[in-house]
Amino acid sequence: MVEEGSGRGGGANGGRGSAGTVGGLMNPGMTRLGEPVMRWSSRTHSIAGVQEELERIWGSISLATPGSVPSAAAGRPGVAEGGTGGTDGTDGPAGVNPAVEERRVAARSSVMNLVVVAGRGETGERAAAVVHGLTGRHPSRTIIVTPADPDGPAWLDAQVQAHCILPSVDSPETCAELIYLTAGGESGQHLAALITPLVVHDLPVTVWWPSEPRLESSATKDLLDMADRVLVDGAGWSGDGLDRLAQLARLPGEFAVEIADFGMLRQSRWREAIASSFDLPRLRPFLGAIRSLTVSYAAGDGAPRSTNVVKPIYHLAWLASRLGMTVVEPLKASETPWGGYHGVVRSGRRHIAIALQPLESKVLRGTTLEVVIEAGRGPHALEVRVTGQADGITVDTTVDAEPMPDRHYLVPRRHEADLLAETIEDAGAHPITAEALAMAAALVGKPVPGHRLGARAA
Amino acid sequence: MATKAPPKPARPPKARPAPATAPAPARPASPGVPAATGRSIREERLTHNGKRHRAPKAPDLNPLRKGLRLERVPDPHVMVLFGATGDLSHRKVFPALAQLWRTNLLPQDWMLVAIGRRPYDDDSFRDDIRKSLTENSRVPLDPAVERQFLERISYHRGDFDSEAMYDSLVERLDAIDAHHATAGNRLFYLATRPSDFPLIVGQLGRCGLDHEVHGGGWRRIVIEKPFGRDLDSAKRLNREVGKVFRESQVYRIDHYLGKETVRNLLVFRFANGIFEPLWNRRYVDHVQITMAESLGVEERGSFYEETGATRDVVQNHLLQLLTLVAMEPPATFEAEALRDEKVKVLRAIERPDRTAVAADVVRGQYGPGWVAGERVTGYREEHEVDSKSETETFVALKLNVDDWRWSGVPFYLRTGKRLPKRATEIAIQFKDVPHRLFESAQSNPEPNLLAIRIQPDEGIVLRFASKVPGLGLDIRTVNMDFTYGSAFSTDAPEAYETLILDAMLGDASLFTRADEVEAAWTAVDPILDAWLDEPPPDFPNYEAGSWGPPEADRLIERAGRRWRRI
Repeated sequence: MVEEGSGRGGGANGGRGSAGTVGGLMNPGMTRLGEPVMRWSSRTHSIAGVQEELERIWGSISLATPGSVPSAAAGRPGVAEGGTGGTDGTDGPAGVNPAVEERRVAARSSVMNLVVVAGRGETGERAAAVVHGLTGRHPSRTIIVTPADPDGPAWLDAQVQAHCILPSVDSPETCAELIYLTAGGESGQHLAALITPLVVHDLPVTVWWPSEPRLESSATKDLLDMADRVLVDGAGWSGDGLDRLAQLARLPGEFAVEIADFGMLRQSRWREAIASSFDLPRLRPFLGAIRSLTVSYAAGDGAPRSTNVVKPIYHLAWLASRLGMTVVEPLKASETPWGGYHGVVRSGRRHIAIALQPLESKVLRGTTLEVVIEAGRGPHALEVRVTGQADGITVDTTVDAEPMPDRHYLVPRRHEADLLAETIEDAGAHPITAEALAMAAALVGKPVPGHRLGARAA
Repeated sequence: MATKAPPKPARPPKARPAPATAPAPARPASPGVPAATGRSIREERLTHNGKRHRAPKAPDLNPLRKGLRLERVPDPHVMVLFGATGDLSHRKVFPALAQLWRTNLLPQDWMLVAIGRRPYDDDSFRDDIRKSLTENSRVPLDPAVERQFLERISYHRGDFDSEAMYDSLVERLDAIDAHHATAGNRLFYLATRPSDFPLIVGQLGRCGLDHEVHGGGWRRIVIEKPFGRDLDSAKRLNREVGKVFRESQVYRIDHYLGKETVRNLLVFRFANGIFEPLWNRRYVDHVQITMAESLGVEERGSFYEETGATRDVVQNHLLQLLTLVAMEPPATFEAEALRDEKVKVLRAIERPDRTAVAADVVRGQYGPGWVAGERVTGYREEHEVDSKSETETFVALKLNVDDWRWSGVPFYLRTGKRLPKRATEIAIQFKDVPHRLFESAQSNPEPNLLAIRIQPDEGIVLRFASKVPGLGLDIRTVNMDFTYGSAFSTDAPEAYETLILDAMLGDASLFTRADEVEAAWTAVDPILDAWLDEPPPDFPNYEAGSWGPPEADRLIERAGRRWRRI
């Protein structure tokens, strides 16, 4: 995905002397449409050093912005032929190539600060790959921080990179910075102190935990103080994930943060499909007459509380919060194998049985298999059965035992880069997430203090 | 000030056959008149209101949709596309519909009946659409999605003037209603030649296809421009359409209004606090609106001979942009409020008399020249163009918007074919500083400018003066530049996607109202009239690849201003 420059370039911007420090311009001529290219990479060992490098990047990149034609676009109509001399940074010092006509300016643009707290090195690599996919859509300053060797002496290793992308033939190149920080010893315990000097001021700070966050630790609390948005993936947490889910739901009250969970974002295709069943005016009244909500999910074994059920809970929580329900009996894990979770919610005077049902399946554990909504109005009964497949969602609706035509929504599963982009585009407190998260906490019996549950949102 | 209420299209009585399904029940005594029960009118009204306005059992909106992409999706409906085999349908309408389908924005119970003269059946027509989708799709379609989409399209062959075709169409639509949840909702889309509009509209009226019965679904009609070729013909067309459809059922497409940047103009003006205070005669020196095309008339020679740049671009696109720049803030972001404000601007445009046309309007026609490194022929040598043609391919004009906000601020508009590049831009030129403080500076700073680029490189530029670093005091003008591409994902919908979805949802904000069309013609008609009597002196008067005839430069330079270099 990212083209690594094979050598160091840029005589004037070369190494800075200290041991192991390399730095400077890379790949000055390479740009392919839509593919990020690393234009700068350097290494340093202090926060002051990182700040210095960041300043130097922009001085150099704007000078060396190639006017060359992206190789992928060569031969397209409307694109003049251009030289691609000095393309890979290995053949001599990089810099302005006078033979190449200056056609576009690299625009440094940032839409946010993204702080990735990576527990292990490979988590950081994975996150970096996702961020690269985002460069064209939402260039941001990304800081990937990995605490290491907590009992050793304090040390810091920082790598500063700039990645540029050409979104389309007739637009300027956009660039974004990526900083890898590995913090050893005690400096890894004071993440906020490392990160605060490096964020672009006036831009929102999103803190992303690709793995399991330690929400109770003091280092995390410091980070949350400086964050505007918190991004987690609840479906990846250990156990059934419910304790952490309840903790997560309390964060907006304790800190001024908005929460986004990839687990919930991934379900948007389900929500669209479920909502669409009730677009038909004659079925809409059934929404006020629901009798039961059941979500089945994939489980490896039937042992109680062994499978992460964050995603199935989100389905229930979304429906319950949207339909203004209140919790009567929180979901309780059955102690028998394959027993699942059962509870009761209330809508007006009507009690509604809710359940999470584990099913043996080969798909990833914790994946939602089916959402079933049963409703009855007088003599009329409605059953909406929504099932997920790899390529989309199918909705089977039965009214009074008479099936309506199946509807199949073709929506492929989305990648993390798309989800990350979506969270950024949905800036501002997302009503679905905030309400569903609070409802989820109530559903597992740990309601957020002070949250008016069941009060129908205006 | 002209604050006349918009003329209400008279609705002449018409004989309409009763709907085929059920005879209309005998009309009960007028509901407004109280029956002889001895109650006072007030009591009567209260009880009636109590009955009528009880909260409906079914919520109007689907509560599950809140927070999803659309809080409302279009109702299930049948779209009836006239001119389905034409170029516009293939290049724009079907690709837009396919994108809406791909992103699940169309209801599942959506059907399309395509009407054309050519001998297709459902399968061969779908094959044709598949081909044009491959060529014209913004985002390629997954084969399964494409199959699903095409399955919803059926072909109905017939001539627009054949009554039998409409009768069988009625049957066909009823049959679709019987099998799908389309419930009588119809969207008629006229992608045909404008000369066919009255015919089709009349036939739709004859069959009662315009008729919105209670609980029987909505009926809407989408009409493509041009809306007439002068004020008279526009009025005639509006009258013809108005005989059958109410104005609220009519959606006139000017695809320019569906473009993201144009819609952003409203957001820019009315969602920002700092520009609106400057947006008036006190701070604005003048406004320039440019819509330049590098292409010639291509294959549309015979069409262009009939229209010319004034009818093709000025009357609709340029005046629409002008109204968006000049309008007052609407009271609400609703279709009628928005369009009321736009009509007010059009009415405030000063109608030029003969001398003003001679002085403030420049027309041009391109001769041979070089564009983008290629030799191109002159307009008179183009295919299907008269060798002595007097059609204008370039217009530059100065308009005055005579209202409280803009009095004395000239609006310079220009458009042309075979100009050096394709670019559309609105530039707000602010007044110069009242006092030059830095007299020792070597160059005087230019006055501030706000430019809104509509294409290409959509974005906004603010120009201001800055000190050149150094010991002396030198001033240079710098730009603060915002480009869409660097701040947002570039996956913006096509104008047609936005507009078709809006028509399906019944939101007419981005469509042109009848009185708006007429007001725009009123502004342009005096120019066309003056030209009828005075043949152009020296056509062709500009070289292809130049920025128009020299008179256009003189038009603006008279007032000590100049056209922006774009």
